[in-house]
Parts: sequence; C-alpha cells; structure tokens
Amino acid sequence: MGLFDKFKSRSPVSKEPSPNEDATKAAKRRAVLLGLDGTPCTLVRRFIEDGTMPNFRRLSERGSLLQMDTAIPDISSVAWTSFMTGANPGRHGIYGFLDLQPDTYKIYFPNSRHIQSETLWDAVGRSGRRSIVINVPSTYPAKALNGVLISGFVAVDLNKATYPPELVPRLREMDYRIDVDARKVQESHDALMDEILTTLDRRVKTLLEQYDTGKWDLFVGVITETDRLQHFFMDAVEDPGHKYHSAFRDFYGRVDNFLGAIAERLGDETLMIMSDHGFTGIKQQVYLNRWLVDNGYLKLKENARSIEEIDEGSRAFAMDPGRIYLNHKGRYPNGTVESADARPLLEEIKRGLSEITSEGAPIVKRVYDRDELFNGPCVGFAPDLCVQPVYGYDLKGAVNKPELMDREIFTGMHTQDDATLYISTDAGSLRSGKPHITDIAPSLLDAMGLPVPQSMDGRSMLARG
Amino acid sequence: MEQKGFTLWFTGLSGAGKTTLARLVEGELKARGQKVEVLDGDVIRTNLSKGLGFSKEDRDTNIRRIGFVCDLLTRNGVVAIAAAISPYRSVRDEVREVIGSFVEVYVECPIGVLSDRDVKGLYKKALAGEIKNFTGVDDPYEPPVSPEVTVHTDSETPEQSAARIISRLELMGLAAASEAAGYSEEDEEEVRRRLEALGYV
Repeated sequence: MGLFDKFKSRSPVSKEPSPNEDATKAAKRRAVLLGLDGTPCTLVRRFIEDGTMPNFRRLSERGSLLQMDTAIPDISSVAWTSFMTGANPGRHGIYGFLDLQPDTYKIYFPNSRHIQSETLWDAVGRSGRRSIVINVPSTYPAKALNGVLISGFVAVDLNKATYPPELVPRLREMDYRIDVDARKVQESHDALMDEILTTLDRRVKTLLEQYDTGKWDLFVGVITETDRLQHFFMDAVEDPGHKYHSAFRDFYGRVDNFLGAIAERLGDETLMIMSDHGFTGIKQQVYLNRWLVDNGYLKLKENARSIEEIDEGSRAFAMDPGRIYLNHKGRYPNGTVESADARPLLEEIKRGLSEITSEGAPIVKRVYDRDELFNGPCVGFAPDLCVQPVYGYDLKGAVNKPELMDREIFTGMHTQDDATLYISTDAGSLRSGKPHITDIAPSLLDAMGLPVPQSMDGRSMLARG
Repeated sequence: MEQKGFTLWFTGLSGAGKTTLARLVEGELKARGQKVEVLDGDVIRTNLSKGLGFSKEDRDTNIRRIGFVCDLLTRNGVVAIAAAISPYRSVRDEVREVIGSFVEVYVECPIGVLSDRDVKGLYKKALAGEIKNFTGVDDPYEPPVSPEVTVHTDSETPEQSAARIISRLELMGLAAASEAAGYSEEDEEEVRRRLEALGYV
C-alpha cells in the first residue's frame, strides 16, 4: 500500500455539519449526481421549452434549474477536478489537459495521481458510505474507494480505469466504451455521429445497470457524448436547415430518456444534474502563441510543433486554452524574466491582448491575474495570466500556426458562465447567488448529511437555518 | 530508473512536522528502491553540531554542516533528507547553490496552532521566557520565497502532505514512479492523439 492509498482513510479536520438537520433522517439520505459534459444551461432551457427534453421539463418543475459558473480555465480536466474536489486549481493542482514538468519545458499529461486535494467520494467513504462513480473525467487511473469507479476521459486502459477490477469482465461483456473516438470525424461526420450515439447507448446501459444493481449512497454518472457532439455539431443547433439539426435534437432526446429513466427510479434521493461548462459556436480559433511570437514575447525553434521547442530569449508562452506563463528566471531552464520585471511585463501583455480585435470588436473579455483565480499550495505552478475570450473566439495553445486566427473542423467551443446546475426540491430551499462548480460537492455532502471537508472552497447551495 | 541523488530540505518552525514528513517520505522512497538518509536537526545537534548554540552565527554553522553532509550524500546517489528549522533564507539558498540538486519543502503551520499543539512543551517555555532565541517567538523565521513544495500541516494530514511531496518528486523525475502511476509512454501517445482529435494539443 502506497502513500496515496493510505491518506484516503485518514480524517482531516471538518467543518461543523449544519445545526438544524434531523441527524437520523439525514444520515440515511442518498444523492444522485448526473453530469452532462458541456451542456449549456441556455440549451437545456431551450430544449425544455421546445419539447425536446420533456423529462427535464418535469424535473425542472420539481426543482431549481440554474445557470452556473465553472472553473477557469473552462476545460473538462480543470472543471471536473474542481467539481470532484470542491476546490480551486490552486489547491487541486490541475490547470489543463497538459502541463509542463517542473523546471523544464517538457509536457506531461496530468492524471488522477496529480490531484492534490481530497475528492467528494473520499469524504463520503470516510463516513462509511458508498459511492458509485462512472465516467467522471480526470479520474484515471482509478484509485481505490469505498464503492465503484470507472474513469472517464482521458482513460486509456479499461483495466486501469476500473475499481474494483472484478468489474472489468462485466464491462467488456457489455461492450462498454470509455469514450467517443473523435478521430472518426476524419472518416465522415456520419461516422462520428454513429460513434457518438453508440457510445451514449452503451454508457446509458452501464449507468442504469450500476444504478439498479450496485450498492450506493452517492451515485455519480456522467455522459461525455454531449461535449463531443457539440465540438463537432454545434453549428447544427441554430440552423434548422443544417444536415444534422434534427440529429442534434434527437441526440438530446436520448439524453432526456436517460434522465427520465433515472427520474422513474428515484425514491427520496436528492437529484442534482450538472454540466462542467457551457458551449457556444466558434467564429475563429485564436492562437495566443502566434500573438506572442508576433509581438516579440516568444521565440520558437524552426518548425516547432509544441511549446517544448521554445527557443532562448523568450519572455512568455501560452498553453491551451488561455493560459499565459512568463518565462521566469529560476523557474525555467532558459528563463529570462527577473521577478522585478514580471509585473510591468504582465501589464504590457494584458494591454496588448485587450487590443486584439476581429470584425472591429475585441475578442478578449477579461484577463485574470494568477492571484485573482488561484489560491492554495499549488499556486506556485499556476499560469501567470488566464485569458477569458469573448463568445466565439476559441483560444488555443498550438505553436505551428501561421495566422493569429483560423477555422478548423470544430464548430463549438466552451463557455465559462453558462454551465448547468439542477437541484431537486428534496434538497430543500436554496441559498441565493449564482452557483459555482466548486459548490456542488459541498451541496451533495450537505444533502447527504455529511460534513464538508475544510479543503473544499465551494459553499453548499442548500439554505440553512 | 537510474538512482539519482538529491537533497530534500524541510524547513519550518519547531513542531510543524518536519521530522514526521521526512520519515514518511523516507519510507516511501525506500519502498521504491531508493537509498535514503535522514539528517534530523534535533539529532545533528547532539553530535555533528554538538556545542553550537542558537545565535544566528551558530545556526548558520549548523545548517552549513548539515548541507555539507547532504552534498556528499547527494553526489553519491543518495537521497539526503534534511529536517531542520533552518530559519535563515540566505544560508538555505547558499546550501541550495552548493548542492545543486536541491528540493526545498516549506512546512507551513501557523504559530498559534503550534503553540496550542506544543508537542515538545517548548512553546510554553519559550513564551514564559524560559528558553531564549526560540524561532517564531523571540527569534526570526524567514519563509522560503519559492520553495518547490509548500505543505500546510494545520489543514493536511501528514500522509496527504507526504503524498504531495512524492508526486512532486515523481514529476521532477527524482522519485521512481510507483506501480499505480498514471500513463505509460504508450498511453501518453494515445492520450496525445485523443487530445489532438479534440483540438487540445
């Protein structure tokens, strides 16, 4: 047993449970959290209105449907980790799908072992309660827990993605798929759509089987096909004449059937439904490293294909989606920026970014300083700046682009302020204020009558007193 | 993985948990087949630095001696773990400069929590004026400006702090990856391809 297994069983200090709850009743409470990766709240509202999602409509009459802010950067690895830990990236340590190894320009792909704070299911397990957690991104490799976990994106090997391992044969029997193979789009959009529908179908079967046959106090099941659909078919929503317009709606109809299947099964469990970010159409992809090169901040080796090939004399570089790092002396091998020069340089870059325009309007909504967003023991390797774009301008970290902006095959991009949160009325009345993704884990623990660990930055949405 | 020596230097106030963490990390690295030696400040003062007091000069001498031994061990492929208050930034940086392969861990814990905890009964005595030159009470402590790792022992369990240190060492290529570690090289290629397919790489 390694350290990483050991610390799960320890009991860190906890905040006091709410004083007004009926302890005996609360102790038995169960909760269900369904995740729809990337489903915007505005889209849910539209599909409730136009009859595409009748089950979600019925649920919305028995609970609150809220627009939610997600983490910055607003990509799945950061957002889902913020969900599962209830913490900001400065505490949990995940800033993107890729990051640089300390003191190098070498890329690595953060995985579950790099998450530095306790998860929701660790906290549930510590109270002797069981969790079933299926397809939450950034949980690979699967770590032991009191319950069942099947890792989501970017899981590679089903054996390492599944805890306990005894479950693997059943998953294979059911042809469970970890993820949509987005490379199918190279074949055709039809092939990708088939792939998305098939993966959704397999996912739902496994989710329902585990729901029905597994033992759990907390059930967490995520659908990622929503995100994949929207990356490639977002343009189909607005355009009734689009080849895939009805296919898009039919897909959400199937998602709604799944919600209905869960709703039918509900007893007195609290139900929450969430997405990890919103989505909108892409006007342009924007390559921040191109801008940094053009403005003399970044030097790349000839034919560089990744930021690993940064050249000497660079003062800043960007990583997906809108993370900007100064090339700090002492932090990077060829660092050039003295700490005394950092602040003026950051201000200069912020000013420059705010002046980028397209079609006569700025494409940057806001640039955040590190300390505005992150706080905790992992803040030392946080980006110096995070750029929040205007809707439609998708920020990318690629280095090999000749132009600042272009279009690729993708038609949808993530949004930060239009994620979805639904909470059923069983949870009681809710506090005011727009929810943030880090509020969900404390809300679930609260609904289950369990204490919220101090490591969680979020606040329960459930009203007290 | 080739055995690579380095110095893991724990700095922080008395009672913050430096020795506890040093021992936990020692155990974990040994379990992964690495050679490890712990130089504990309290022990060093009973032999290598016997006779030294707590003036700034004596404290700096103590740290230079510990640093000297860490350097010898590091050069010979051993992981040298130092657990010493080491209150002065300049001498810690001097030792870092000499050793080169140096990882500083700031063991942070508010003084209020430490004096409440007071495992060795020292804070009570220092606050009563029975011990002079006590770091954090009537002697200064200069926290590191950019330590490789900061752990918060008032809010984390020792196991959580140690796990964070180990994962940092893994990332730096200084600790052998445990069997449960994330991606193999083959996996990494697959991850890269999947991220590319969604435009993230």
